[in-house]
Amino acid sequence: MTATADRPTAHDPITLEIIQNSFQAAADEMFVAMKKTAMSSIIYEVLDMGTAVLDEDGELASSGAGIPAFVGVLDKACKVIIETIGSDDIGPGDVFLTSDPYRGGVTHLNDVVVAMPVFADGELIAWTANIAHNSDVGGMAPGSASGEATEIFQEGLRLPPVKAISAGEPVRAIFDIVQLNSRLREASEGDLWAAIAAVRTGERRLREVAARYGVDAFRAASRDFMDYGEQVARAGLAGLPEGTFELEEEIDDGRVLHVAITITHDEFVVDLTRNPDQAEAPTNCTRDAAMIPVQMLFKSLTDGGINANAGSFRPIRLVTRPGSVFEPVEPAPMGFYYDLLLPLYDLLWRCMAQVVPDSLGAGHFASVCATLIGGTHPDTGRPYSIIEPQIGGWGASAAHDGNSAMFSGVHGDTFNCPAEVNEAKNGLVVRRMSLNTDEGGEGRRTGGRGIVMEYELRADDGHATLAFTRSKFPPWALDGGRPGSPNYCEVVAAEDGSTTRYSFASGLDTAPGDVIRIVTGNGGGLGDPTERERSLVERDVRNGLISAERAAEIYGS
Amino acid sequence: MGVDSQIRVATDVGGTFTDLVTFGVDEDSGAIEIRIAKAATTPPDFDLGVLDVFDRAEVPFERVESHVHGTTVVINAITERKGAKVGLIGTEGFRDTLEIARGNRPDFFNLGYRKPEPFVPRYLRREVPGRMSYQGEQREPLDLAPVAGIVDDFRADGVEAIAICLLHSWANPAHERRLSEEVRRLWPEVAVVVSSDITREWREYERTSTAVLSAYVQPVAQRYLGRLDEQLRSRELGGPTLVMQSNCGVASAASVAEAPIMMVESGPASGFLGAAELGRRIGRPDVLALDIGGTTAKCSLIEDGRVRVMTDYWLERDRESAGYPAMVPVVDLVEIGNGGGSIAWVDDFGKLHVGPQSAGADPGPASYGQGGSQATTTDANLWLGRISRDDFCGGEIVPDLDATERALTEVGARMGVGPTEAARGIVRIANNNMVNALKLISLNRGHDPRDFTLVAFGGGGPMHALALADELGVQQVVVPSTASVFSAWGMIVSDLRHDYFHTVLLDVDRASVGAIAAAFSEAERQAVKDFVADAVDAGAIRMERFGRFRYQGQEHTTEVALDADDLAPERLAGLTERFHAAYEAEYTYRLDAPIEMVGLHLVASVPSAAVAPDPQPPGDPDTGPARIGTRTVDFAELGIHEAALLAADALRPGMTCPGPAVVEGAGTSVLVHPGWTMTVDGHRNLVLDADVTPEEGR
Repeated sequence: MTATADRPTAHDPITLEIIQNSFQAAADEMFVAMKKTAMSSIIYEVLDMGTAVLDEDGELASSGAGIPAFVGVLDKACKVIIETIGSDDIGPGDVFLTSDPYRGGVTHLNDVVVAMPVFADGELIAWTANIAHNSDVGGMAPGSASGEATEIFQEGLRLPPVKAISAGEPVRAIFDIVQLNSRLREASEGDLWAAIAAVRTGERRLREVAARYGVDAFRAASRDFMDYGEQVARAGLAGLPEGTFELEEEIDDGRVLHVAITITHDEFVVDLTRNPDQAEAPTNCTRDAAMIPVQMLFKSLTDGGINANAGSFRPIRLVTRPGSVFEPVEPAPMGFYYDLLLPLYDLLWRCMAQVVPDSLGAGHFASVCATLIGGTHPDTGRPYSIIEPQIGGWGASAAHDGNSAMFSGVHGDTFNCPAEVNEAKNGLVVRRMSLNTDEGGEGRRTGGRGIVMEYELRADDGHATLAFTRSKFPPWALDGGRPGSPNYCEVVAAEDGSTTRYSFASGLDTAPGDVIRIVTGNGGGLGDPTERERSLVERDVRNGLISAERAAEIYGS
Repeated sequence: MGVDSQIRVATDVGGTFTDLVTFGVDEDSGAIEIRIAKAATTPPDFDLGVLDVFDRAEVPFERVESHVHGTTVVINAITERKGAKVGLIGTEGFRDTLEIARGNRPDFFNLGYRKPEPFVPRYLRREVPGRMSYQGEQREPLDLAPVAGIVDDFRADGVEAIAICLLHSWANPAHERRLSEEVRRLWPEVAVVVSSDITREWREYERTSTAVLSAYVQPVAQRYLGRLDEQLRSRELGGPTLVMQSNCGVASAASVAEAPIMMVESGPASGFLGAAELGRRIGRPDVLALDIGGTTAKCSLIEDGRVRVMTDYWLERDRESAGYPAMVPVVDLVEIGNGGGSIAWVDDFGKLHVGPQSAGADPGPASYGQGGSQATTTDANLWLGRISRDDFCGGEIVPDLDATERALTEVGARMGVGPTEAARGIVRIANNNMVNALKLISLNRGHDPRDFTLVAFGGGGPMHALALADELGVQQVVVPSTASVFSAWGMIVSDLRHDYFHTVLLDVDRASVGAIAAAFSEAERQAVKDFVADAVDAGAIRMERFGRFRYQGQEHTTEVALDADDLAPERLAGLTERFHAAYEAEYTYRLDAPIEMVGLHLVASVPSAAVAPDPQPPGDPDTGPARIGTRTVDFAELGIHEAALLAADALRPGMTCPGPAVVEGAGTSVLVHPGWTMTVDGHRNLVLDADVTPEEGR
C-alpha cells in the first residue's frame, strides 16, 4: 500500500493533483511570457532567467520551465522580501524587487528578482516570482560585471527588497532609480515590465485556482506537492551508495576547489569548507549561489524529472565557511560568479561519477565560455552587443557517445544564435560554425564534439571580452577513456595575420577584418578506446571526425 | 450535364479508414446533397482504398469537378523513418549546421539527455564556397567547381534526394538556384529540394532542416501522388486532384509534390479548418477546436472564423526532446499525448498519470480484449457507462469487461481505491490535461475561453467536451453532424491557399513604408506566379497581408493585419497603434519604444466553390422518436445519473433534450451533462448550451 492511502483524506488526491498541475502550468506560463517580451537577448535567447510559484512562506511550490540554474534562488529571495518588508506591508496588487546578493536569493547584481504576492479571500496564499539577468545595472563597466572590480560597489545598483508597485500603482521613484542606474534604459524598462507582466500572469492564474477549488484545497495541494517532491527525492537518495566521497581539482586560475559529499540514509551533505578564501576578483559565489549546483546535481541523481519544488531538496545540507569563495563577506565582488559555479558543478558531478558511473557520464566542456562582443553596427550605426554562452561537447556515457554541440549543464532549453540572425543584428560575418575535430575524447564511447565558430568583425570601434574556463585542464574522462579537448579562443588580426590564443581576455579592442575564433572542447571519453566497435570507428573516419591514421593509432587496427 | 450537377469530392486516408465526403446538387430537385462513405485503408497501395470509397459512394467519376485529397503519407514516412537517403549541400563553413542544431536541452535535469540524431549523417553533408550577405548582396561568388565531385560521391553512396540550403538564401536565393541548376544538370533524375523554394525566412538551421525533411519525403510523396493521379485518371476523373496542406488550404498535386513537407500536418489542419467553417456557418466565428483521437488530443483557437497559421513547427518536440523544425506554414495547434488509448499509470508515490504512452491500436485498451492489460482513458469511459457497451467502437467490438475491471482494479490498488474510483480519477486527470492544453491556446495568449464556442470532434471529443467547457467557463459546445468524417468535411470546404512568410528587416517609420510595400509586392508577385502555374485566374486571387512586428530589441513578433492602404505614410500612426493594441492584448502592457518589422505573412487564396446546403427548418422539439432507453452514467465529479439514450440517426432539426443524456451511433458518444441542454440545429449539428452561467470567481 502506498503513502496516499493512509494520508488524511480531507481533500481528494485527484483534486490536489489538478491544483498541482496548475502550479506547474502557471510557472511555465510566466516563463514563456517573460521570454516573449524581454528586450535583452540574454533573457530571451540565453535564458539567463527563471520563474517559480512559491507558497505563502516563500517555499518553492513549483519551478518553471526552461532552465535548471535558478531553481533554488527564488524561494530565498521571497523569504528575504517577506522578512524585510513585513507582512503588514504586503498587499494585493503589490510587486517587489530585490537584487542584493548579500541579503540572499540573488547571484549577482545583474540578476533582479521580481515577486508578487497572491491573495485569495483576503489571505496571502502564494507568491509568483522571477529572476532575470538585466543587461546593465550601472557599475564601473558596460554590462556591469567587470573583471577589474574589487568591491561589489563597482558592480552596479544594489536594490534591497522594495515595493515597486503598490496595490497596482507603479511607485515612480523606484522605476526612476532602476532606469537612471542603467546604461541601457530602454532595455532596462522593457525587461522590468516583461518581468512584471510575467508575475502578474502567474498571480492571476493562481487566484483563479484558489477561487475554483478554495483556499484550503490550494494550501493542501501546495503542502502535498512538496511532500511528494520529498518522497521522490528520498527514494532517489536511498538508491545512492552511502559514504563520504571527496575530490579536489585545480581550476584554470590556479585555485584548488574541494568538495566532500556525504550520503547517509536521510541526508545529502555537501561540505565546501575546504575551499580558498574569498577573492578580491569578482569570482566569488554566495552561499545561495553555491547551493544551485548542489541542488541541480542532487535533482539529476535522485529524480531527472523537470519539475522541482522545496521538497525535492529537503535532504540537502550545505556546509560553507564564512570568508571563503563560497560564502564571501561584504564587499567581495561577484560579477563572474558563474566561472566558479560551473567548476563547482563539474567537480560535484565528477565526484559522484566515480560513485555512480552508470548514471553520470564523463565530463563535458563545462564552461559558459562567456563571449561579449560589441561595437557600432556598420550598417545601422546603432550600438550592438553580443552576450552569449557557447555550446560544446558533452562526455561519453556507458551506453552512448556524448552529445555534440550542446549548452553546458547549467543551461537548459537555451538556444544558440543563428548565424543569419547574428550577422543581421550585430553587423559581423560568421565565417564558420562547425564541429570541432580536434583530438580528444576518444574511448570505447567517445565524447561529443565542441564547435569552432569564427566571427569576422566589421565594426570600426569593436571590443571583445572572452572568459573561457577549462582551457588549461580539458574535460575529464572515465574508466580508461581519453580526456576531452580544451576550450579556447583565438584572435586573428587583420593587420598582420597574427594569431593570439586566449582563455580570458577583457576589453580587447578589435579592428574590421579581425577574426575571433571560438573553439569549445570535446567531451571526455569513456572506456578503453581499443574496445570500441570496429563499425563505429569506421563511421567516425567516414564522417571525417578522425583521420584513418589517428584512428589506427588510438583504436588499433 | 450542366455545371450545377458537378460534384466536389474529398477523400481522407486515415490509419484505419479512408473517408469520403461529396457535395453535389441533385439534378431533379436542385437540392444540395452531401454524401459520406468509409472504406478500409489499404497500405501500401493506398490508391485502392481511395478507388474503393469512390465506388462505395457511387461517385460518377466524370462528373467530379474537383477532388481534394488528404493523406498521412508524409508524417508517417518521417515518424517511421522510411524516407529517402538524403545528401545535403550547404555553405562552406556550415557543414555541421544540421547536427549542431540549436544546442538546447529541454529535459534539463536529465544528464543522460540524447540529442536528436540528424537526418543526414556527416559524410553526406557537403559544402560549396560563396556567400550572400543578410542584405541579399553577394559577398563572395558561388564556386560550382566542387559540385561534380559531390554529385559523384552522392551517386556512389546511393543518395536518393538532395537538399540544398545556403546561407542567407531567404534574402537572395540566386546562389541556391544556380547550385540547384548545376546539380540537376549533372544528375537530372535525382529529386532536388531547394530551401528558398519552401521558405523565405531566416535561421539557417531551421531552413536546412526544412529542406532536408522535405527531401526525405519527396520520393515517397511523389510516387504516392503520381500513382493516385494515374489511377483516378484511368477512371476518367472529371477534375483535378488537389492536396490538403498543413496551412488549412489545398494546392495542386503538382505543387505539393515539389514541397511535400507542406502536407506534414494536413490531417489536423483539415479538422481545424472544418471547425472554423462550421463556426462561420452557424454564426459562431470564435471557436476553440478540439480533436481527441486515439493517441493524442489536439486543439487550436479560431478567431473571427480564421485559423491561425504559423511557421514555428517542430516534429517530435516535447519536454524530453528538442525535435526537428520544419519552417512551413502549419495551423497553430497544441498537441498532447492524451487520447482514448492513453495509458493510466500510478507512480511509485501514489500519483495518477494519464499518457503520454498509448496502447495504440495493438493491443489497444484493455477493453478491446486483444491482450491489453493497462487501463486507458477509453477503459475508464466504458467502465463509467460513458461509452455504450452495446455500441462499442461502432458495434465492431464486444468489450472485454473482465479485462477492463482487472486493469482498473490494478490502477486503483496502487492508489488505495476501487476500480470505479480509479476510473473517475483517470477521466478527471485526462480532462485536466486537456484543459491545460486548451488554456495554452487561449488564456496564455490573452483570449478568454468564455468568449468561444467549443467545437469537439474525433472519437473522444464529444465525450469529454462538456467537462472541459465547465472548467473553462465555455457556454456552448457544438458536435458537428459530420463528426465521423470531419477531416474530409474540412477538406471539401477548404480554399486553394498558399501562405508566404518572408523575413523582412525594417524599422517602422515614414522612411521605410515604401520598402515595406515593396516587400509585399514581391510576395504577391510570387503568389500570382504560383497560382497561374496551376491554371488559376490571377483575378480570382484574394490577398491578405500581415506584418510581423516587435519593439526594437525584442525577439518575438506580434502579427498585425494590414490593409493595402495602411502603407501610406500618413496612415502609419494607425498601423503602429494596432501593433501596440495587439501587443497589449497579449502581454498586458505597452511600451513607448521604436517598432521594427521582422517579416511579412501573405495569405493568397482562391475561395472554394463548395456550396453550403440551406439549413432545414426546426421541427418538433420532442426527442421521443430518437429515444432508445436509459443508462446509468457516472459523470465523475458530477455524480451518477440515469441518462436518456438517444440514437444519432433519429435526431431531427429542432429536437431538444436536457442533460443527463447520451447520444450514440455517430461513431462516438456525445455526453450531455446535467445542467446542459442539447438542441439539433438545421444542419443536424448537436448544439449544447449551459443552462446557467457557472459560478462567479474568475
